[in-house]
Amino acid sequence: MRSGVTTAEKWVLAICALMLVLIIPSLNAFTPEGFFHVSDFSINLYGKYLCYAILAISVDMLWGYTGLLSLGQALFFALGGYMFGMYLMRMIGSLGQYHQPIPDFLVFLGWHNLPPFWRPFSSFSFALMMAFVLPGLVALIFGYLAFRSRIRGVYFSILTQALTYAACLLFFRNNLFMGGNNGFTDFKFLLGYDLRSPATQRALYMVTAVTLVLIFLGCRWLTRTKFGLLQQAIRDSENRVLFSGYAAGNYKLFIFVLCALIAAIGGTLYVPQVGIINPSEMAPEKSLEAVVWVAVGGRGTLIGPIIGAVVVNALKSWTTRAFPDIWLLFLGALFVLVTAFMPKGIVGLPEQFRGLAKRLKAKPLPPPAPHQTPCAEPSQSNPDQHFAKTK
Amino acid sequence: MSGLCRAKYLPLSDQRGGAWCSALGLFMRLGVLLLAWAAFGCFWCSSAETPDVAAVRRKLAQAILAEGSEQQKLLAELSDSGSKFAAEVFTAWLRDGVYIYSSTDGSKIPVLLEETQDTEGKSRALRIDNGEFLKDPQGADLHFASSDLSPADTDMRLRSTIQQTIDTLTLSDPNPTARRSGVLKFGNSQKTGYIPLLQKKLSGEKESEVKKAIQEAIALLQLSSTDTKVQVAAVDELGRLKSIGSLDRLRALAAKRDCPPEILRSAKRATAAIQDHLWWVNFFGTIFHGLSLGSILLVVALGLAITFGLMGIINMAHGEMIAVGAYACYVVQNLYGAGFGFSITLPFSFGSKPISFGLHLPGLNASGWFYESYFLVALPLSFLSAALAGLVIERTVIRFLYRRPLESLLATWGVSLVMQQCFRMVFGANNVQVNSPSWLLGHFSVNDLILGYNRLFVICFGLLIVFATWLLLAKTPLGLLIRAVMQNRGMAACLGVRTSRINMLTFAFGSGLAGLAGAFLSQIGNVGPSLGQTYIVDSFMTVVLGGVGSIMGTVGSAMGIGTADQVLQQTTGSPVTGKIVVLLTIIVFLQWKPGGLFSTRGRTLD
Repeated sequence: MRSGVTTAEKWVLAICALMLVLIIPSLNAFTPEGFFHVSDFSINLYGKYLCYAILAISVDMLWGYTGLLSLGQALFFALGGYMFGMYLMRMIGSLGQYHQPIPDFLVFLGWHNLPPFWRPFSSFSFALMMAFVLPGLVALIFGYLAFRSRIRGVYFSILTQALTYAACLLFFRNNLFMGGNNGFTDFKFLLGYDLRSPATQRALYMVTAVTLVLIFLGCRWLTRTKFGLLQQAIRDSENRVLFSGYAAGNYKLFIFVLCALIAAIGGTLYVPQVGIINPSEMAPEKSLEAVVWVAVGGRGTLIGPIIGAVVVNALKSWTTRAFPDIWLLFLGALFVLVTAFMPKGIVGLPEQFRGLAKRLKAKPLPPPAPHQTPCAEPSQSNPDQHFAKTK
Repeated sequence: MSGLCRAKYLPLSDQRGGAWCSALGLFMRLGVLLLAWAAFGCFWCSSAETPDVAAVRRKLAQAILAEGSEQQKLLAELSDSGSKFAAEVFTAWLRDGVYIYSSTDGSKIPVLLEETQDTEGKSRALRIDNGEFLKDPQGADLHFASSDLSPADTDMRLRSTIQQTIDTLTLSDPNPTARRSGVLKFGNSQKTGYIPLLQKKLSGEKESEVKKAIQEAIALLQLSSTDTKVQVAAVDELGRLKSIGSLDRLRALAAKRDCPPEILRSAKRATAAIQDHLWWVNFFGTIFHGLSLGSILLVVALGLAITFGLMGIINMAHGEMIAVGAYACYVVQNLYGAGFGFSITLPFSFGSKPISFGLHLPGLNASGWFYESYFLVALPLSFLSAALAGLVIERTVIRFLYRRPLESLLATWGVSLVMQQCFRMVFGANNVQVNSPSWLLGHFSVNDLILGYNRLFVICFGLLIVFATWLLLAKTPLGLLIRAVMQNRGMAACLGVRTSRINMLTFAFGSGLAGLAGAFLSQIGNVGPSLGQTYIVDSFMTVVLGGVGSIMGTVGSAMGIGTADQVLQQTTGSPVTGKIVVLLTIIVFLQWKPGGLFSTRGRTLD
């Protein structure tokens, strides 16, 4: 499916991208109230989904393409968000609750001056740089340590989870001077534009959509290069890659850092649109949720995570409003069902149905289908569809 | 097969059936031990009643009515009685709560008024001399308002004597702990006049703890003496006794400007000795806390060491198994009390009726020791309920995912979300309270080191569970089959082992252990829907650090993490920093030993 992309598919993708980047914002800006109008609230919500989609792509590049299930991607997402949030906090100026030139929570903690490490964050470019440098650095150090000692499979997952848990505990502390429990909120300006005006939000949405498309294209290109092939080879059999003379660890480190940066971009765009960042964004559950989006959408494809992130989050927005009590029941059940019976997610459904139909044709009396699907997976012939089989 | 047998596994030698019987036997032995523990607890809690109540009552009545030196003498005699009732009467007397009733025949009867009042604000009068209510000649209770009766007279001098008598009464309290705290109060009073009294008590005291407290109190009082020699002796005595409570007094004494040099010298020596002692007490206290925390981690992680370490299933719902066990305790507790019930209304409706269902179980309304024993029933039930939940999960979800560990992680996380929401719906989103039985509440102290029974219980029971698990895995036929299946599933299946049944039992056993952990946690803190989430990351780290597949490694790493956590908490002064440092240390430690503390050596690469 992926090797020979038809022109038609290219057109579909291009139209989707155009829709995301141009049509939705214009519907917001130029149409009157009515069926076609996209409200300010909605465009803000879509922007949030797209940020999540960026995070989902980073999870998928690791899990779907390299076989590394990182349960700490939300950490990089939140770190990027925090760094950019520091800039936004500085931009509040003296307009906070306490009318002091330093962020409110510092006043609340009894500070009169800005802690030294906060000072450079008054500059937009420095904050933006730090939004990449810090997550990248954390990923580099952790990845170096993890891949050097050949931690893989579930151990990698558990360690990344421990890392994000430790960071979450750290950011909950007040004496880190990062807002503690409440994090950063009540942002007012970004580069001089009022964050609460619909035009700024629309612009932010467009930036997010363009970034998503660029990241999608970049990852698409990367997975088709020799590097991408190696990446998938590592997923399918790391030892064979090692024995063929490739330093698998270095490749993994590169992709890990790259994905941390992608997640950080998502976080950076997320904060001004959602207007709050707090330590619960890096709680272990958040990373797991991102993995759900990928699993639902279909891992090992690049369009899958985007679909998954948007669909699951839209569903979440709807259920949490309509049936707040059973949202978790629903998410949990969805998760179990998807992992057990839809190993390829939404994107893989047509193929799964085709396979089912073929089997139905071959055998007049088939065994109960759903139980067979997951067990049959390893014996299927397409090597690209072999997902991390860790023994 | 021997080639596949790794060092940590015991040789597969014996192939008999009856796995269930031996598991049952183990469980019964566990129960007997628990009962013995409970009996010990009950014995510990019981204490003797007051010796001769009637005599004390008569004397009290006399003392209230008497005057002058006669009254002083009677009070002095009463101060030795150790009667709780006398203390109550004296306290009431101080507050003008003792009344004199003049009966028709001219005799005076001292009474107390009951606290419960009728609609007119009157209450029954309790005779101090015989403990009965005042009655009219027909035998009906008399009711009085407090203004109807005249309170017993007191003056300044009498009041101070009464206060002194109350203080002295605690010195002869039959309960050693109360006696000890009474003594300590005397020690801090700075009134040298009490010294002879304390010295008299010292000769009659048999409990060594109380004896030490009296010596300490005497020395503390002597510090206020004007005689330098007495002061030096007192300082030396405090140093010898290593009295932590006197540290501040000694420091203050040494800091005085006009402190004589010999006192200063002694005080410095004594302070150093006490500080040394304090350091050791804190040290052992930290170790003890660390061990108890480690034991909790151990019990929590042991189940995981089996499901994750032996079976290779990443069960993210393990934390919810803990919650199942804790809630089982809660339900049993309520069934022993007022009963348990819940009702759920779904947000959908069928036609016009909302769908709702519920359950109500009547309670036993038990009290006393029978109620206290609920925990003994709750322990096995928490194991069984969690094991059952594990069994259901294994059959419905995990069975399909044995070859895909990463996906078992995701699916079980889904299960965990569902279970958390179910807890919320059944038990409410707030924490529920599980009362500890009284035999787990107290503590005893060894040389100033305070050891809580619940923590001791956790340590002992943790060790017991490890031992039982080891017995099950190493010495029973079921354990043999478990090890065979975990080492080489295919080979075991070829030899006729029903591997899917063994998988099911192993998973249920691991989940049951988590349930037991839940029963513990319910004794230490509150029980809430997200109880399991608090421990899940820690327990995974424990298993990974210990070396996957090694029970001994899990024991070592649990104790290590627990102790390190407590020590870091003490040194950094913040619980969170300690935890962060521990987590990061583990990540770095795995660089050095990627397989964990007790890694298994194998030649295979994958």
